[in-house]
Amino acid sequence: MTDKKITKANRDEFYPPIPTTGTKFWRTNYIYQLFKFFRLNLKIMSIVVKGHS
Amino acid sequence: MKVVILGAGISGHTAAAFLKKKLGSHHDVTVISPSQYYQWIPSNIWVGVGRMSVDQVRFKLPGVYKRWGINFKQAKALSIHPEGDNENNSGFVTIEYTSEGNTGKTEKVPFDYLVNATGPKLNFEATPGLGPGKNSLSVCSCDHASHTWEELKKAIELMQQGKKQRFLIGTGHPKATCQGAAFEYALNLAFEFKRRKLSHLAEITWISNEYEVGDFGMGGAFIKRGGYITSTKVFTESVLAENNISWIKRAGITKVDPGTAHYETLDGTSHSIEFDFAMLIPAFAGQGLKAFNKTGEDISPKLFAPTGFMIVDANYAPKPFEEWSIKDWPENYQNPSYPNIYATGIAFAPPHSISKPMKSPNGTEIFPSPPRTGMPSGVIGKIVALNIAEIIKNGGTRHRHLASMGRMGAACVVSAGYSMTKGLGATMTVSPIIPDWEKYPEWGRDINATVGEIGLAGHWIKLFLHYMFLHKAKGYPFWWLLPE
Repeated sequence: MTDKKITKANRDEFYPPIPTTGTKFWRTNYIYQLFKFFRLNLKIMSIVVKGHS
Repeated sequence: MKVVILGAGISGHTAAAFLKKKLGSHHDVTVISPSQYYQWIPSNIWVGVGRMSVDQVRFKLPGVYKRWGINFKQAKALSIHPEGDNENNSGFVTIEYTSEGNTGKTEKVPFDYLVNATGPKLNFEATPGLGPGKNSLSVCSCDHASHTWEELKKAIELMQQGKKQRFLIGTGHPKATCQGAAFEYALNLAFEFKRRKLSHLAEITWISNEYEVGDFGMGGAFIKRGGYITSTKVFTESVLAENNISWIKRAGITKVDPGTAHYETLDGTSHSIEFDFAMLIPAFAGQGLKAFNKTGEDISPKLFAPTGFMIVDANYAPKPFEEWSIKDWPENYQNPSYPNIYATGIAFAPPHSISKPMKSPNGTEIFPSPPRTGMPSGVIGKIVALNIAEIIKNGGTRHRHLASMGRMGAACVVSAGYSMTKGLGATMTVSPIIPDWEKYPEWGRDINATVGEIGLAGHWIKLFLHYMFLHKAKGYPFWWLLPE
């Protein structure tokens, strides 16, 4: 534990936000991700369509 | 009329498909490409970790072009003669065949309109020791990716024997671009090691010429996330840290020896890092085509920028970063000296980078070149095809279809692990690609159109796009309805 702290503290890798267990759960929850699949596809499509003049 | 397209990548193939669809059998469309294959480059990442075979990401072009009525010549272009020569009054391209049985044979291919979509030369030579066959690996082509997978298998075997392996992934030149592909590869490696329960034996390091990670050659972006507007720096660092990948930023690799990469950082200091496995993206350059006028005089500077990329309707006047504008970027991709010549995709010369130029005290420029792969390449190929077809059919010189990267958005789906149930992908969208600080003074882009999300849905989307774009490229039913 002490080694880990000494190794990691003050390095770049120490500071970014790390996902919680809950965040990781929702990332692979099929129902939530199915909703995201359609939502993100719609978002991508709207950007693609706007890109063509 | 004869329309010739150099290159059959995302941009050239899209241009050829739409030109033939619009022009029909009354006009000739010819594609010249040194390879008989079309490859869906974004999926090379999965070839590089053994999740897809080479044949899953490519298919043979001659059959598709025969069905479409497009002439196909498996050859590489050597020179462009926009005015013809002593024997020919119309413009032509000199090509050298690469197909079996014809190798080395040359031919003059006449054109009324020319689309240069040659893509980049993978400039491994710009970094001593870089590249397959030397001291590092690549995923820039499916053959490179396949070779990288063979090397990865050896590293995995050593790890299974309990030996720790050091992986160095990132950019192999101080001005390389395509950070996204290398980033995907680093994440896929971490995922594969986790899948095999070997993470504790893998030391993965991300090395990049970006000022901050998450720049991706487009100056980074801002996204709405967790109730905050946050930069892609935080987003990217979070993904790297979560996967136990350490990072070195502001680094330009200057040389790769066996097992050691040498690099200079923006503060002017030199460093070395040892590795067992290195996948480093090379710098991109133009294909080195020459151009000659009717009398045989070299007019390459009229067609090509010093980088080898083709000059188009951009504003190339040098100016400081603070004065850059989206108006500098091209809209119709027409060469100003020869209006019947266009350049699409990576083949056009950008007016400047998107990321802020940075130089070390030693004078080494260390910053990413602008990316123009994937979606922008396809969109540019399409609008150039539509404009040429309209000019041929209706006359005039007006370009009704425009595609400035300063107005066009882009979506990038970064694979972070291949699995239908546990896979991950980071979906990122930005609009526009080039920050427009006049229209969006706060964030440079439309904050409501900019997305950064990680999840299984991202993997499904990337896989869906793989099959959708191959369906489109093969010209299967309703291909023209699918977006670029």
